[in-house]
This record gives sequence, C-alpha cells and structure tokens, in this order.
Amino acid sequence: MKQVAENRTISRPVGELLAFDHADLGYGKRIVVADLSMVLRAGDFLGIVGPNGAGKTTILKAMLGILKPLNGRVRRTSGVRFGYVPQRQSADEVYPLTALEVAMMGRYPMMGVFARPSRRDRDLVLSSLNQVGIADLAEQPFRELSGGQKQRTLIARALASEPDVLVLDEPTNDMDIGSEHAIMELLKDLHDSRGLTIVMVSHLLNVVVNYAGTFAIVDHGLRMFGSAEEVVSAQNLSEVYGIPVEVAAHGDGRVVLTAGCTCRQDEALSRRLGGSNA
Amino acid sequence: MLDVFRIPFLQTALAAGLIVGAVCAYLGVHVVLRRIVFVGAALAQVSSAGVGLALYIGSNPSITSLLLTMGGVAAFSIKSASRRTTQESLIGVGYAIASALAVLFLARSGQAEARMLDVLSGNVLTVTAAQVWLMAAVAAAAVAVHALLQKQFLFSAFDADTAKASGIRAQWWDLLFFLILGVVISFSIRLAGTLLVFAFLVLPAVTALLLSRRFAEIYVVAVGASAISTIAGLMASYRFDLPTGPTIVAASFVLLVVSWVVSRLRS
Repeated sequence: MKQVAENRTISRPVGELLAFDHADLGYGKRIVVADLSMVLRAGDFLGIVGPNGAGKTTILKAMLGILKPLNGRVRRTSGVRFGYVPQRQSADEVYPLTALEVAMMGRYPMMGVFARPSRRDRDLVLSSLNQVGIADLAEQPFRELSGGQKQRTLIARALASEPDVLVLDEPTNDMDIGSEHAIMELLKDLHDSRGLTIVMVSHLLNVVVNYAGTFAIVDHGLRMFGSAEEVVSAQNLSEVYGIPVEVAAHGDGRVVLTAGCTCRQDEALSRRLGGSNA
Repeated sequence: MLDVFRIPFLQTALAAGLIVGAVCAYLGVHVVLRRIVFVGAALAQVSSAGVGLALYIGSNPSITSLLLTMGGVAAFSIKSASRRTTQESLIGVGYAIASALAVLFLARSGQAEARMLDVLSGNVLTVTAAQVWLMAAVAAAAVAVHALLQKQFLFSAFDADTAKASGIRAQWWDLLFFLILGVVISFSIRLAGTLLVFAFLVLPAVTALLLSRRFAEIYVVAVGASAISTIAGLMASYRFDLPTGPTIVAASFVLLVVSWVVSRLRS
C-alpha cells in the first residue's frame, strides 16, 4: 500500500492546475463572486480569506466543479484529482458510521458502481487515517469523536482518494487554538512532505497567515491575490479592509492586528466588513 | 398460542405482514436517517388516493396507484427554490390533499362503504396468495437494488456536496431512492393500508437505531422488530377481536418503548 501512495507522489502534476478566467459565480441569477480571475499552481498553499458570506465556499464549489460559472470560465487541468474536505457540520452525524466507514467514502468514486471495498481500499483508508494521526480511532463511531478528530477523519477521507489537491472549507472553525494549531501543522506536513497542493478557506486571516504561501482576499470578488510577501502587509490589508491594520512579527511568524480591539483581530475585521452568516 | 396461524387466511395475512414489514423496516432505516419520515406518510396517502381514483374511474388500482405515487415522488424530490416557503410545507400540502382525494374518490366510487376502511387503514386479513407473491417479488427487488447500490445512496445522503465533488451525482441517487420507496409503498398499501405501512417505515427503524450502532445489526433488529410486532399483533387481534393494522402498530410501539428503556439503561 505504501508503494501505491509513493507512486502517486512521484507522478504529481506540475504547472497550472486550475484557473478562473473572469468567472462570475453564484446561484440562479444571483452573483455571489463577480469577475474572478486567479490561478492555482502545483505545490501552492493557497489561503482564501474573507468575511463570512463573502463567497469563499462558492469559490471552492466552482473549483470542485459542483457549481458551474454563470459567466466566464473555470479551467481545470485534466487528470488532476481534487480531494474535498467540507465544513465538518455538513456530514450528517445521525448516521451510525465509524471513522473508518466515513473515510472509506473517499474510495467510493474509484470503485465500481456495485463493488464493495477491496483489501487495497481498506489498506489505503487505514493508511490515510494513520497519516492524520487517528488510526487508533478507526472503529469509533464518527458522531462520538471530538471536533478535531472529526476534521481529521474528513481529511483522511479526502486523502484516501489519492488527491493532488486538498481543498478544505474552514477546517478549524469552532476549534480551540490548540486543536486549530494541530490541524494547521497537519496541513503543513501534508503540503511539505507529501507534495500536496492545498487550498484552504478561512474567515480568520491569523489562522492561515503563517502557513499559506499564496493569498486570495475575497469579498464578493477578488480584492487581492498574490504571494504572502505581496499581500500580507499593513498597507495592503488596511486598504482592503478599510481600517488601520498592523502586521507584527511574532516568533518565527506574523500576527495581524487592528487598533482598539482586544478580541481576535480578524474576527473584528469580519464583523466590521458586515459579513453575514450566509 | 401460535395455533391461530393454522387458519389459512391468517397464514396469508401473516405472510403479507412479514413481507411488507421486512421491506418497509429495511428502507425505513434510511427514511429515518434521511429525515424524510413525513415523505413516507405523504407517499402512502398519495398511493391510497391512486387506489381511490382507480375505483372511481374503473382503471387498474395497482397501475393507477403506482403512477400517482411516481408523480408524488417527482413532486416531493424537487428542491423548492422559493425562499418564502419550505420543502416540508410542500410535502404537508401533498399529504393533506392526497388524504382528502382518497376519501372523495372512494365516496364517489360506489364501493365506498365496502372498501373505505380497507384502503385507509388496511386489512391484511383480506389479502390473497397471489398478492403476497407479487409483494414478495417487489420487496426482494427493492432490497436487492438498494443493497447493491448502497454506497452511492449512503454517500449522497451523508454528505451530498462531497459526493458531488467526487463525481457521484447525488441528486440522481436521491431520486432513485425515492423511486424505490415509492414503488414499495405503492404495493405495500394494497396489502396493509396507509397506517400500517407508515408505521412499518418508522417504528422498527427507530427501535433498531436506539439499540444498535452498526448498519448490519440495525437492519436485522429493524426487520426482527417488524416480524415480532406482526406476529404478536395478529395473535392479539384474533384473540381479542381487534382491528389488525392498529393492533400491529400498537405491538410495534411496545417494542419501541422496550428498546428505548434498554438504551437508557445502557447509557
């Protein structure tokens, strides 16, 4: 089973994996994200950041092909596999499934319509659970896991599909800072050591600021796109959010601060930008 | 005690109850987990409206009921785009109008008095052997199709967005599940009536979900619970001269209460 995983690593695609070309995204006649142009390249760790209701999940759905653009184009390089990790609330906990059974769903699209999981499927799923550090919880009911463990299960499910790109929607939502840090370190490890391209959505800039190499700041359209050096500066962020923002050094990383607020800074930003919970 | 099942018409009734109970209990596990219990109730009413319509216009009750139920499946599975009302309210409207139409058609059919109670509350005692064989075939086909394709049904219901992102057409699998459910309900109500069919879709599944944590086990417990309540209900209804359908439902409820107590004691 190791052989299989390593083979996939060797044959990862290079160059452009996906591109939005003046794409309007939305539902019915309602445009949520207007005129989006940006490129995802192999090896990127892309952080898509913006207030709640800004259209971040909509962008992910368009990336995954669940949502067709209303205007413009979304080019997906053929043969590139996307592994989706949804917000963990979207998995219905009423189902009596173990962590292993949930992670096994990542293999379903690769099996025949009538086929049942093979030995190889089971090995791949166990190896995925091992990669995210919860191999010992394989037989535990999914609904009885903690938030962090559920998130790891959903990441393992995506890994089980042997993806080139891992696409995560608010993976640290509603987590304490310890669990949040552990999940981000896991993603960093998957990116650095396994060569996975990572796309992560968050409404909290501070969560991704020290992990992502590329940033897309979104608010009903792309406000800013570029490398961490280009985007994460006091001047840029002040301009995008329309309030005074400071970027301070902290240990090996950075924190984003606003004046006059003792709560988490980027939460305050979200609120000030008038984000709804849509 | 089991002597009563030496009587031929009770043997047929027993077979009908066991088969309808088993297939409804099996599908009912997914009806409950998908949170579409009310769809089951509404489809059962639509099916009986179809029987009423057939008696009124003189068409084949099975075919008319099946066609009307498929119409109901299509209507209930369409996701309403309107923000001013809910999907659930649409199903409520279907339930109410189908219930009313069933009575109105029967009232105009000329067989009103004779058939009304059988159609509405079911009477497994009047079932023929041919009906039982047909039901057995429908039940076996429904369970086989669902079991063979359960991966897709499960993924689509558990996490539709991720299923779609990985190329599984969740909306089509949901529709197919509804179609299977519609066919089973449509045939079942001819034998057991709307009340008993609806009860079989819900009570054994809830009983099993309270007791077990594994799908394989849940199916066994649900089907077992429907069988026990069918046998106990038929015996009680014969002995105490009670209407059969409601007696089976009452027996099913007793099992549910027992399993609830057991699950409370365990935790």
